[in-house]
Amino acid sequence: MQDKTLNEKESLALIAQMIQNTQKRFERGTGANMLVWGYATVFATFSVWLALRLTGNPNWNFLWFLIPLIGYPYILFQSRQPKLVKTYIDKVIKYIWMVVGITGFFLSAATIFNFMWAFPILFVVILMMGMGSMLTGLVTEFKPSVIGSFAGMLIGFVNYLVPDYDIKMLTFALAFICIDVIPGHILNYRAKKRCSKS
Amino acid sequence: MFKELNPILHSELRLGVMSILISVESADFTYIRKQTGTTAGNLSVQIEKLKEAGYIDVTKSFKGKMPCTTCKITQQGIEAFQQYIDALQSYLHPEQHKKEE
Repeated sequence: MQDKTLNEKESLALIAQMIQNTQKRFERGTGANMLVWGYATVFATFSVWLALRLTGNPNWNFLWFLIPLIGYPYILFQSRQPKLVKTYIDKVIKYIWMVVGITGFFLSAATIFNFMWAFPILFVVILMMGMGSMLTGLVTEFKPSVIGSFAGMLIGFVNYLVPDYDIKMLTFALAFICIDVIPGHILNYRAKKRCSKS
Repeated sequence: MFKELNPILHSELRLGVMSILISVESADFTYIRKQTGTTAGNLSVQIEKLKEAGYIDVTKSFKGKMPCTTCKITQQGIEAFQQYIDALQSYLHPEQHKKEE
């Protein structure tokens, strides 16, 4: 592009092209966020389940804190990476996850520390994260997130209705595979494909 | 009648920069350079002109050890861009504009 004058049609075409290029931005590793939180949740679920099965000691529930211990350092690392462009969609997504993340953390902590011992925390966490992910999918027009979140929330109802502890833990992990892991891999695959073309 | 086209915006590169900034919250100098396909020197000059006109804010900072120049459109810039689009439309659809007046 040069410092030259355009005619009216060229000006409009340039505006449309620049806006479109910015909106259709795909970066490599875009799905990493979902994958980190998804795998951290699946890993923590199996760790808690295995430890409780083997020992029966409820203190092993503190292993749930593995999720923020893995997830938050990643957020910190990511926030230090130079970001070339910030769209309004990025801002909306940031606020969605800020609200969902903080609420989820305090609810989970209250349950683990026995302030709300009868609270169906696994079901509520699935619903909250499912809603966050579905909103993100709708805002970014990324269908796998919308479908995955819907499937995850349906699994959440099974999690609530089935009293068996093993099935509760299994369905909890399964819900996060649908909400985060599968859409995260699809997003990374698409971003990689698009970036290698351009 | 035809509205006057703002000379600050009626240049390919400055219009390109403003079109990027109108659709984002903020953008890095490197990103704008890549999108517009221009040289760093030329872009710096045009960004300075937009800044002097009060259409954009430029913040220089460091991200770790890397220097980082971030550009953001101002309210005055948004209004100027809207008026520019309005003026363009008066050239392309003069009949419609006469009716509105």
